[in-house]
Amino acid sequence: MTALMDQDQPLLRVSSVTKYYDLMIGCRNVSFDLWPGEVLGIVGESGSGKSTLLNCLSTRLEPNSGAIEYNTRASGLVDLFTMSEAERRMLMRTDWGFVHQNPRDGLRMGVSAGANIGERMMAVGARVYGDIRESAAHWLGRVEFDIDRMDHLPSTFSGGMQQRVQIARNLAVNPRLIFMDEPTGGLDVSVQARLLDLLRELVGDLGLSAIVVTHDLAVARLLSHRLMVMRNGEVVESGLTDQVLDDPQHPYTQLLVSSILQV
Amino acid sequence: MNDFSLNIENLSKSFTIHAQGGLRLPVLKSFDLDVASGECIALVGPSGAGKSTLLRCIYANYLADSGRIALNNHGEVVDIRTAAPREVLKLRQHVIGYVSQFLRVIPRVPTVQVVAEPLRDRNIPADEATARAEKLLARLNVPEKLWQIPPATFSGGEQQRVNIARGFIYDFPLLLLDEPTASLDRANGSVVIELINEARERGAAIIGIFHDEDVRAEVATRLVEVQPLQAAA
Ligand SMILES: Nc1ncnc2c1ncn2[C@@H]1O[C@H](COP(=O)(O)OP(=O)(O)OP(=O)(O)O)[C@@H](O)[C@H]1O
Ligand SMILES: [Mg+2]
Repeated sequence: MTALMDQDQPLLRVSSVTKYYDLMIGCRNVSFDLWPGEVLGIVGESGSGKSTLLNCLSTRLEPNSGAIEYNTRASGLVDLFTMSEAERRMLMRTDWGFVHQNPRDGLRMGVSAGANIGERMMAVGARVYGDIRESAAHWLGRVEFDIDRMDHLPSTFSGGMQQRVQIARNLAVNPRLIFMDEPTGGLDVSVQARLLDLLRELVGDLGLSAIVVTHDLAVARLLSHRLMVMRNGEVVESGLTDQVLDDPQHPYTQLLVSSILQV
Repeated sequence: MNDFSLNIENLSKSFTIHAQGGLRLPVLKSFDLDVASGECIALVGPSGAGKSTLLRCIYANYLADSGRIALNNHGEVVDIRTAAPREVLKLRQHVIGYVSQFLRVIPRVPTVQVVAEPLRDRNIPADEATARAEKLLARLNVPEKLWQIPPATFSGGEQQRVNIARGFIYDFPLLLLDEPTASLDRANGSVVIELINEARERGAAIIGIFHDEDVRAEVATRLVEVQPLQAAA
């Protein structure tokens, strides 16, 4: 059941991934390894290809060329696009999480906070009502959500609370890899700071790997170990987060860093 | 015995400012330095010579152009200039402590936690880590009423002491200190001098920038000059 994960192997290996849209480049020739426990930030202006890349990595979009291999529990590195659709779906349910910018895209608005989490657990085989409820309460507690409101509908929550529920929903299945697209994007600055700190703590405590797309360099600095800077669909610079931000090499990265007040 | 050494060979670092038409500012050129455990090197040189830049290159916060920054920890040698990010992060967890001039605060994290973090990263239980952090904060005269508050609102000197506590809470084999006593009064400055000397005596290799000559005289075992380069056209 607990197949050994080889710590000397990346969790995700991305090789020369390219995705064209009809007339435009989505992302071109992107390669990197993501290691267990590592958080990779992807930054760049809007339209730079960040979300296209994230969608390719999470198999929501199929690249035109290149390979994305994932280190499966059962058989090591496997090319995601050679798996069957069913295998891929199972993997997404058991191993991966996806935190959307808009909680509405990641939550079912018609069922309670508790049920949103229970549902994810049932999708990976949980059956005992008491266990599911207890675990839902546990995860809601971990994201500092007021348990008394567990049975309320997400539509009655603030944006920050909805985002907490979305995060709890993703963590409840003990994933190994979490994709996040502007996880604090639509929130007030104060709410954003609390949530970021929480995310940072959770990812660290749980030893998760994560890929975080953001246009906010302060978010990237706080959450990610490593940074990739994208422009016009290409990675122009990558490296240790504080090195990229404090000693940017590429003209575009220098422009990005100098355009903000302070990170 | 403490088996650590740092060997810097032929190190060069320049900055290229693209917004200025690719203006190149050379800062370090063919710089060499060997540091062994039990030594405290004081970097000296005029303002802007590149002392802080050198420390940041050793911490891999700045990317050196060429040369080697070899850390030899118990026979395991890593060139931090070319090491992968995850290797660098591992070295920062286990080998290199860096006390920068300014504290970069993480919102919402209380001071005592900020200080205890290097221990928590090494899986030392929370209560032990907290106890050690409190002891060090007390020794550095950071008032107890501040311990549970995030350091964002602290005075310059208070923040600097938090930063120092963070750097000294774990016995890092290599310590990089950028003006650790700059905004401290005499009493607090002497606590820092004690900490530096204790670290050296337990076998740490230390490289520091100490503008105060008295401080330098009390801690340094060797002075190394960083000379300003002429800006190339
Ligand atoms: N991130 C950076 N980007 C561009 N130039 C930089 C950067 N960091 C430092 N420099 C430049 O490198 C040179 C050396 O600076 P550094 O801070 O290392 O000097 P220093 O010897 O520590 O000076 P001081 O004694 O005043 O602290 C300066 O000209 C500085 O402007
Ligand atoms: Mg300096």
